Amino acid sequence: MRRLLASPVTGIAAAVAALGLMSALLTPYQLTLANNIGLASLTVLGLVLLTGVAGMTSFGQAAFVGVGAYSAAVIATVPAANLPPGLSLLAGSPLGGLLLGLVATVIVASVLGAVTLRLSGHYLPLGTIAWGLSFYYLFGTTELFGGFGGISDIPALHLAGLTFSDAASLYWLIWGAVILAVLVTANLLDSRSGRAIRSLRGGQLMAESMGVNTFSAKMTAFLVAALFAAVAGWLYAYTQRFVAAAPFGTQAGIDFLFMALIGGVNRVPGAIIGAGVVVVLREWLQDVLPHLFGRTGNFETIVFGLAIVVILQKTPTGIAGALARLVPKRLWRPQARRRAVGELPRRYMPLPGEVVLEADSITRRFGGLVANNEVSLSVASGEILALIGPNGAGKSTLFNQLSAVDRPTSGEVRFLGRRIHGLTARSLAANGLARTFQHVRLIRGMSVLENAAVGAHTRGRNGVLASMLRLDRAEEARLLAEAAHQLSRVGLGDQLAIKAGSLALGQHRLVEIARALASDPCVLLLDEPAAGLRFQEKQALARLLRQLKAEGMAILLVEHDMDFVMGLADRIVVIDFGETIAAGTPEEIRVNPAVIEAYLGGAE
Amino acid sequence: MPAMRPLALSLALAVALVSPALAGVKIGVVTSASGPIALVGIPQKNTVPLLPKTAGGETIEYISLDDASDPTATVTAFKKLVLEDKVDAIIGPSGSPNALGVIGFAAENGVPMLAPVGSASAVLPMDAKKKWVFKTTQNDGLVADLLVSHMVKTGVKTVGFIGTSDAYGDTWAKVLKDAAKAKGIAVVAEERFTRQDTSLMAQGLKITSKSPDAVLIGAPGSSSVLPETTLVDVGYHGKIYQTHGAALQEFLKLGGRKVEGTILAGSGMLVLDEIPDWNPAKKIAVDYIAAYQKLYGVKPATFGANVLDAGLLLEQAIPDALKQGKPGTPEFRAGLRDALEATKELVGAQGVYNMTPEDHSGFDVRGLELLTVSGGQFHLLK
Amino acid sequence: MNGQIALMLGQDGMTSGAIYALLALSIILVFSVTRILLVPQGEFVTFSALTMAAMQSGRPVRLGVLVFGLALVALAMDIVAERQRHRRWTVPRTSLALAAHGLFVVGLGLSVPFDHLGLLVQIGFALLTVVPLGPLIYRVFFQPIASAPSLVLLMVAIAVHVALIGGGLLIFGPEGARTEPFSDSVVQLGPAIIASQTLWVIGVSAALTVALWLFFETSLWGKALRAAAFNRLGAELVGISPVFAGRTSMTLAALIGAVSGIVVAPITTIYYDSGFLISLKGFVGAIIGAMSSYPVAALGALMVGQAESFSTFWASSYKEIIVFTLLLPVLLWRSLRQPSVGDDE
Repeated sequence: MRRLLASPVTGIAAAVAALGLMSALLTPYQLTLANNIGLASLTVLGLVLLTGVAGMTSFGQAAFVGVGAYSAAVIATVPAANLPPGLSLLAGSPLGGLLLGLVATVIVASVLGAVTLRLSGHYLPLGTIAWGLSFYYLFGTTELFGGFGGISDIPALHLAGLTFSDAASLYWLIWGAVILAVLVTANLLDSRSGRAIRSLRGGQLMAESMGVNTFSAKMTAFLVAALFAAVAGWLYAYTQRFVAAAPFGTQAGIDFLFMALIGGVNRVPGAIIGAGVVVVLREWLQDVLPHLFGRTGNFETIVFGLAIVVILQKTPTGIAGALARLVPKRLWRPQARRRAVGELPRRYMPLPGEVVLEADSITRRFGGLVANNEVSLSVASGEILALIGPNGAGKSTLFNQLSAVDRPTSGEVRFLGRRIHGLTARSLAANGLARTFQHVRLIRGMSVLENAAVGAHTRGRNGVLASMLRLDRAEEARLLAEAAHQLSRVGLGDQLAIKAGSLALGQHRLVEIARALASDPCVLLLDEPAAGLRFQEKQALARLLRQLKAEGMAILLVEHDMDFVMGLADRIVVIDFGETIAAGTPEEIRVNPAVIEAYLGGAE
Repeated sequence: MPAMRPLALSLALAVALVSPALAGVKIGVVTSASGPIALVGIPQKNTVPLLPKTAGGETIEYISLDDASDPTATVTAFKKLVLEDKVDAIIGPSGSPNALGVIGFAAENGVPMLAPVGSASAVLPMDAKKKWVFKTTQNDGLVADLLVSHMVKTGVKTVGFIGTSDAYGDTWAKVLKDAAKAKGIAVVAEERFTRQDTSLMAQGLKITSKSPDAVLIGAPGSSSVLPETTLVDVGYHGKIYQTHGAALQEFLKLGGRKVEGTILAGSGMLVLDEIPDWNPAKKIAVDYIAAYQKLYGVKPATFGANVLDAGLLLEQAIPDALKQGKPGTPEFRAGLRDALEATKELVGAQGVYNMTPEDHSGFDVRGLELLTVSGGQFHLLK
Repeated sequence: MNGQIALMLGQDGMTSGAIYALLALSIILVFSVTRILLVPQGEFVTFSALTMAAMQSGRPVRLGVLVFGLALVALAMDIVAERQRHRRWTVPRTSLALAAHGLFVVGLGLSVPFDHLGLLVQIGFALLTVVPLGPLIYRVFFQPIASAPSLVLLMVAIAVHVALIGGGLLIFGPEGARTEPFSDSVVQLGPAIIASQTLWVIGVSAALTVALWLFFETSLWGKALRAAAFNRLGAELVGISPVFAGRTSMTLAALIGAVSGIVVAPITTIYYDSGFLISLKGFVGAIIGAMSSYPVAALGALMVGQAESFSTFWASSYKEIIVFTLLLPVLLWRSLRQPSVGDDE
């Protein structure tokens, strides 16, 4: 029974039943409103994916709706002879209009994405405002699009022998599309590609270090959001049977974002709630506000503007977030997972004693400051090397260069005998280098299991389309099984379904280690793994690291906890003021006068 | 569920506020009182309280909605008025694209629609759908003909055009080309601008470089001023024509000395002092302006009179329609349409209406006057 | 096109570009100090222009009501914040002063016949009305979420812009307005005729730019702002509070916007919603300057002015499309210069 409750089939059945009930209860005008809500939901759903999940935003979604609507209108009304060559084949076909809209959207979104998505966060919204404006004028000035007067007399939609000419029939088509889009989005989010998109929230550095191509993850979210808008546009054209430039301007783009924020920008139901609340509220405000203020004017925009400010200041998760807090926790349970068949392929491991990662006379200058000066070290398969030094000694800088996040000013880093100069963190991750972060980078809203599964990203193959259509389940089960296995190795096997944000700080570090292990690495870089752990946890961690070492893993760790390091490391490198001051076994380091001076001298 | 209560309460309040009184004829009004064409829509919305309150013994109730200049919202507002409020006729919307988007819906539901828009495409070419639409403004083509005739008379051979990047500018670019072609005048320049543009120097220079004998400015409301002052600033010395979009006091105030000598076609409303008293439209216009000014403290733009005339048309048609059926029935609405189509010699604020099955705009040139600006005032062009 | 036309187009582009440059500077200033992309920057321009127009046509100045209203909200927020922090009821002096000032501009605005007073008095009163909007908007809308991600700040900025546009329509009405030029004279520069007002625009922009530069280079406040922009945490540690930095930068932004509005109002028609397009072009300039370099942004904004002027001459219906499409190569260039993996914030 419980499993039944959570299954998507029951979800769809419930949604269809609800829709059927609504269609019976609503008046024709309310059906029109419901259709408007459905059309907006589709576009806003894309924004939830883009803004709430991937952490980017676009004010240009209305322009994509316009691309979809104009494609449909042109194909439906312009005779084949007047269409540009190549498009004449599609003339008169509604599906042809849809196809044209989707293709045009992909082209436009790809160009826009290519120039803005590599840049830091605020360029995309600014770019989309500008592009939204240009498209408004392009729609209005193009002869084929009927100028600012628009395209009227779009015939009713005939599809597969059915005619969709009134609000009641379009209601099913529109809400069918919404259900489909919700399903596809939910499928996407619950997959390898979806985790890649969700991992953007943990910072690009983390995602890239897990082997995620952040640019393509962003592009995926941007394209999917744009395509949803284009489909909404196609439906819009056949609902209104008239298309003009005005509803596709920047103002409409802003409205869509407001709907997402009000509904709840980081939850899929937020899209429908937001669209619904805004559409209904706008109707209502139009009736009520003039009565309250006794005169007419633009009160709605003021009310909406201020409402957004209050929502962002007080409850950034919107209505859906507030509702989710009301629902008792026990109603939320993880979806039943398919049992994994077979295991993920393992990597070829270097032979024991083979040097895996090597730094050769690395110097890194920041302006006049020398952070690392001629530092050399190497770590071999089946060895634990510890890097220690006082605060500000240059450990983190070195760590970043070893993982290709930063480039040395001179000297070189070799991974598996190859210079890593010019390689990205992503390609190192794909080749078996895994790391954790000093400042933990987990996605707080994602479950512990999913967080760990991000690490296994490079071990999967399935793409966006496969995940949307649920063709990835076998591989997905193996990825999750691997993540679960690594979590149980670090002692979190019973906390898989908990949101990462609700774990204790020390456990965050363990999740990071499990995430790193899930990538099946041959070298593990751990940045202060024991910080915040309790004594028993430290002991368990030490046991785990020894076991990994026995399996042939090369481990480099930066750590402040001397007892932990001394008991664990095979060799220790000590740096201070960016220079190596000592290297050797724990016993040698313990008695090294330079080390004692560096640590104790600094303290007095 | 205590949490539901405020919501239920507010919904009840909303219903209470919108649920109309039961008796009489119901007329919906849809205007663009906000958004980009608010300057057209606001005087129209403000005119609603001045519309006739009774006709043929029935009270008339007006339900006024704002579409924020957005054609999608216009469709929604029309559906609300027709399906929810069951109105007998609709006055509106303010914009041409907005009107084109709702004609099909109004016709399907058999609701007469009185559109205060300029573009003739709302009623031409006449077809099964557009027979439900009546237009309460002069057709743009008619205005263009009058202006172009004046150009011909004064020896203009070439004309330049500058208009707004919206439906208004689009329509005017087209009707000017048609009218000019018919009269053998060449359109040598066509420039566009957006209302919010801060400088039109480039357009002005481009037009001036083509040295047309005259320039027509196709822009609604106060956006008609900047092109003209710019043309003067860049040293253009030819004649400058404006559409009836410039026919408002604001134009004189913003333009100042630089718009002296402008020629425009508009209704007599602007030059009431010079209209002879025997002209029947004069009294209606004088009363309308006085009532509007009393209510809002400013004089209405002519866009407002378009809505007033729609109300007057309905006032005359309702008694005839009542013979066909009760308000709220399809028979009444069909009767209303037929009565509107049969309108003869109805005097409005802007002129005299005569509808025919082919012509649903009902104005001839009698409603139009050629005006000019001198001494900071509009005057009849003698 | 001949030389004279090119010269006049250039001069026209220079005039618009000067305004865009001023806005680009204040956009960067506010962004670097507070991380807010100040979309409502354009509203300072339109509000001051429309306030000037209201005074000159003898209508009451109703914008003061907005100032007073915001000041009351700010005062209430300050009192509540003080209560929460120190557990006692105190009335913070700054916000009380702002509220008093709001009452002052409401009173004067509704009663004094400004059309009979001189241009300088009108300018002074327009500044007194519009400039306080800067710190008040910061206090009410941004200060409570000053440390939120910049994406959230951007969305609040857009929401404030939308609300201000709605308020602008209520306060000023839908019709456009223009004001009397400072002087009517015309300057003959070679073959070109230049209205003296355009020289005012260029001159005031240049003077304001120099004044800003001096402010940052020499004054203590300016240096404090620079420090806050360079390193927020560090600045806080040495006693420059982020609230102070935020308020000051927003006050400057409002001042720059208001002055721009006053100087352009005589040469164009300004509507309640004109601000968005104007500030957007300032944003294009700021993007060219990578949201950080003042000189590059100013230069970029001047280029936008030129691009706009010349592209309008070639194809006026495609002007906006051309101007905003020019942004794409700029973004591409920025994108290629960006290191492959930057870390956010």
